[in-house]
Amino acid sequence: MVRVEPPVLIKDLDEDAFRARYQCDRFTATVLSSRLRYIVQHMCTGLLTNAFSVILRDWYDFASTIAGPPELDYPTPAVSNSLVLFLGTMTDAVRNAVEEFGPQNLQPGDVLMCNDPYRIGTHVNDVCFIRPVFFEGRLVGFVNLQAHMLDMGGVVPAGFSGTKRNVYENGLVIGPQLLYHDDRPVKSAWSLIFDNARFGNLLLPDIKTIYQNLRLGENLLLETIQRYGVESYLGAVRYACDLSAETMRQALARLPDGEFEGEDFIDCDGVDDSEEYHVKVKVRIRGDRAEVDLSGSSRQARTSINGGWLDAKTAVAVALKYLLDPRSPFTSGTLRNVDIVLPEGTFFSAMPPDGAIFLYWESTQPLLLAIFRALKEALGPNAVGGDYCSLNIHNANGVRNGVPWVTMAQCGGEHGPWGATKDGDADSYMVFYLANNLDPATEAIEADFPCVVLRKEYATDTAGAGRHRGGAAVVKDTLWLTEAEHYSMPLHTKAPSGFGVYGGKDGAVGAVWVWEPEAYEQVQRAGLVGFDEAVYRQATPVAGVLNPESHTLDHQGRYFHFARVPIWRTRPRTMFRYLTNGGGGWGNPLERPPERVLRDVRDEYISIETARELYGVVIQGDPQHDPEGLQIDYEATQALRNAAASQRH
Amino acid sequence: MSVYPRSSEPFLFVHKEPVQGQCPECGSHNLRRYPVLSEGGWWLVTKCQDCLFSLERERWGRLGSIQLLSETL
Ligand SMILES: [Zn+2]
Repeated sequence: MVRVEPPVLIKDLDEDAFRARYQCDRFTATVLSSRLRYIVQHMCTGLLTNAFSVILRDWYDFASTIAGPPELDYPTPAVSNSLVLFLGTMTDAVRNAVEEFGPQNLQPGDVLMCNDPYRIGTHVNDVCFIRPVFFEGRLVGFVNLQAHMLDMGGVVPAGFSGTKRNVYENGLVIGPQLLYHDDRPVKSAWSLIFDNARFGNLLLPDIKTIYQNLRLGENLLLETIQRYGVESYLGAVRYACDLSAETMRQALARLPDGEFEGEDFIDCDGVDDSEEYHVKVKVRIRGDRAEVDLSGSSRQARTSINGGWLDAKTAVAVALKYLLDPRSPFTSGTLRNVDIVLPEGTFFSAMPPDGAIFLYWESTQPLLLAIFRALKEALGPNAVGGDYCSLNIHNANGVRNGVPWVTMAQCGGEHGPWGATKDGDADSYMVFYLANNLDPATEAIEADFPCVVLRKEYATDTAGAGRHRGGAAVVKDTLWLTEAEHYSMPLHTKAPSGFGVYGGKDGAVGAVWVWEPEAYEQVQRAGLVGFDEAVYRQATPVAGVLNPESHTLDHQGRYFHFARVPIWRTRPRTMFRYLTNGGGGWGNPLERPPERVLRDVRDEYISIETARELYGVVIQGDPQHDPEGLQIDYEATQALRNAAASQRH
Repeated sequence: MSVYPRSSEPFLFVHKEPVQGQCPECGSHNLRRYPVLSEGGWWLVTKCQDCLFSLERERWGRLGSIQLLSETL
């Protein structure tokens, strides 16, 4: 048989071969590809510091890319450091929108927009703004910003809900069309948005800010091309993509050949809890090639918990990047040696019009975790523990002094723990693996909305045990001061998402509760609500697997369906509590140095009981009232660990 | 947008159609044809199932099998 020779590595190309391939020298290609990343980052900083709405200003819910011209098939050599969920979809979004509109129909001064999940991924609130860049009359590429708009119409204010049943309830769908022509606003396009969406007074300045940052990106790109020449620029675009294709190819080749299977699932959809939604993944590795087969996964859900095919593609690319090739930049070349076998019509490749897509990350984050699970044995010490997975997102809305308000992923779970790695303990207050955002400031939340954030803290004994500890679950309590409507969206409470790796243990599962005003008054002490059984007994479960009487976490208890009350209409002084899932541990907990276990007890990551049971470390003292007086009983610890070790053999 | 109803089957699979021939790289006769998603979007590939070598890769629908009604204008 003919063995196809692997291509020569880019670093092994001599100067002439490099120049022949990329139309510039190696140094220039490196400088230019860094310059492209600088441009997208600059565009993001411009939007972040000048945006008006909470979701852009306080959440960083946007991303920026540069794409090459149509004749190169729209390669994406540079993506911003912001929202990962957008970076993968945007590599295809620009091609799909421009090809449908027709690249020949674009002119200097145009801005194209599109927000259809089935065409460009994510959800209708995320509008992709595309600015064609012309150099001496030639279309040489695109600078792009995809940003979350506060509202896009539909039956739910701000859109966040797992209960919408089709595209018609979901919100306004915008096929590719011009928002600016000849640098003048196309009024009909703006009216289309303003006539269908709420909060137009915030959308207008946000979109204008986006437009100015597209112009910033265009100017920076044109300056770059002016200085280095268009052929060098186009060469560098290809160089950047080839380089990340090459590092992924090398990373795949380092894995053993084989088939690796993983699975994860979400609890149910917004209709009822009769059907769980499972992702099944089989990763096949042959040399430097991979095929990620998602056959056997569940059909689409009946409500807007679904994701789309480009969201699935993003999750695969990001999972492989995290696990195998984290050190080179993400580009459209990342998936060159990877084929995804994706059945259409699953809950992460939903189809119109009834496969409504909104909480797309809730479906694709389990897909990412299923790949993490599939590869954890093959990766050995390089495996990464699972994170909290479900954002447990919460949105509330109401009217105060005649003015409507809406919160945006601020008072639910939203932030939580990651899983541990060989490098150390996991962080406990992050956004899940498929995102990279900010944490909205409590002061801003309380200034903007009629609520008080009572707790935002780590929950004891929720982190996955390990030689390196997983992150602890986050508990967030919010007291609502006026009447309000709430949408609550926890989707991964039936089983832990924060799985342990390399001998580490799983993190705990979370849940959501609400205390009605009378219950809140009864259980609060100086305004705060505690954690004992008597307190939970007064609560109404929102979601989670709980004891039906005491409402405390109980894996043999009953599942409370998150959408059995689709909209919680509450009276003043109602309190919601969100508890996220915990992150997975890495390595055998019996090998964690006792001094670090002591510190975890002092910091209330774990209790004295857990130190003994899971870590085999005996600690004496009172962490609540004398944290610095805690002591390790080394002799008892050694005896306990020896006994535990001999039990394992 | 055209209409794509929810499947009556709870779990979904990609059909990999058997193809006659031999893999030029490893000699296997286990060749299949099916759509995949990769760099550049959807591709209809003819692929060796043993070594994952692609004998053929041609563009598939830009949106997979989703058809825009407006494309029929
Ligand atoms: Zn073969």
